[in-house]
Amino acid sequence: MKNRQDTVLVIPCSGVGKVHGLVSREAAYLAAEELALGKTDIVCLALLVKGDEETLAKVQAHPCITIDGCGKACAQKNVEIAGGEVATAFQVAKTLSRHRGTQPGTGSELTEDGWLVAREIAEAVADEAERRAGGNEVAR
Amino acid sequence: MTVETDKTIKVGIISCSGEELAVGTISRSAVRRVLEVLRPHDAVTLCLPLFLAGNEGERNFARTHPTITVDGCDKQCARFGTERHGGPVARSLVVSEILADRSTACSRSLRGRTQTDEDATAIVAARIAGEIDSLMSDGARPELEEDLSADVCACMKSVATGAVIVKGRSVEIPALAYIFSDCARQGLQPGDAAGSALLEKAKVFHYIPPEEEDDYAAALNEAYREYLGG
Repeated sequence: MKNRQDTVLVIPCSGVGKVHGLVSREAAYLAAEELALGKTDIVCLALLVKGDEETLAKVQAHPCITIDGCGKACAQKNVEIAGGEVATAFQVAKTLSRHRGTQPGTGSELTEDGWLVAREIAEAVADEAERRAGGNEVAR
Repeated sequence: MTVETDKTIKVGIISCSGEELAVGTISRSAVRRVLEVLRPHDAVTLCLPLFLAGNEGERNFARTHPTITVDGCDKQCARFGTERHGGPVARSLVVSEILADRSTACSRSLRGRTQTDEDATAIVAARIAGEIDSLMSDGARPELEEDLSADVCACMKSVATGAVIVKGRSVEIPALAYIFSDCARQGLQPGDAAGSALLEKAKVFHYIPPEEEDDYAAALNEAYREYLGG
């Protein structure tokens, strides 16, 4: 076993069909560019899907946090298929279910509610990244 | 139950939506604009990662739709991913080639969006719309007949919508016909087990509040009984 006190990769699904994908994408940017700046990095899920060797190596070398829009869990599944470690898997749909009546927007635009949900997920991502960076987790 | 089915041939568009680069964001935004504004009746989409995470039905996308891939950069993940898992594409576009240096000031996140991003998105969207028009005028047809029973994501194509009565109110549920036909294919009979199975499938396509799951399961069960002719 080795300690993995390194950068955490954040991988959203970015699903194009619904608002859930946009929330996942913007949550990832909030985490990587603001809340967990320097502790997290984003990789293209499409590159992973394509089988890009550099991306595969990166995913296999760092803990990953996936943010999926729906239960299809494309980001989580693709990281697992690539042999990566999914440290935590978030699903926007589950977060939305805790905010009954919320209108997060569309696949193109987020409402104020949508941004709040994205930030809630980003904060959870940042917490997990912080926990990892603090060496509180030992890789299996 | 009411069911509407759209079997019109549409052009499929798949964006890379790459998260690392601003051109990935433009690919996603441009595809959304085409679907919502420019050619809402002529195009459908599928999330690229579904090709690997999904099943055979999802991987048939490029064979059931004349497909345009929209990639942010020259790595062309959407194009090559689609071709590897779903077959040849009809057109492949690369945002960085279309925009050249006009993409350098664009933002990855919508939080940083400016007029530059809007202009870039408009240019790419117009190009996609032009390619759709070209394919439609060429009489593009898919290789295979559309398989309505395929287990595909709701965002992939128009789905047959049905209504069920939940606590006295009519609720529209996307893909209800597919849900019922899939359960029937598995030999499920109306009852508690079918109610649970129907509920889980319906939740993929429609948000169901946790506190109303029992009501939805009962409503779905009843509609499924009618569907089977009972």
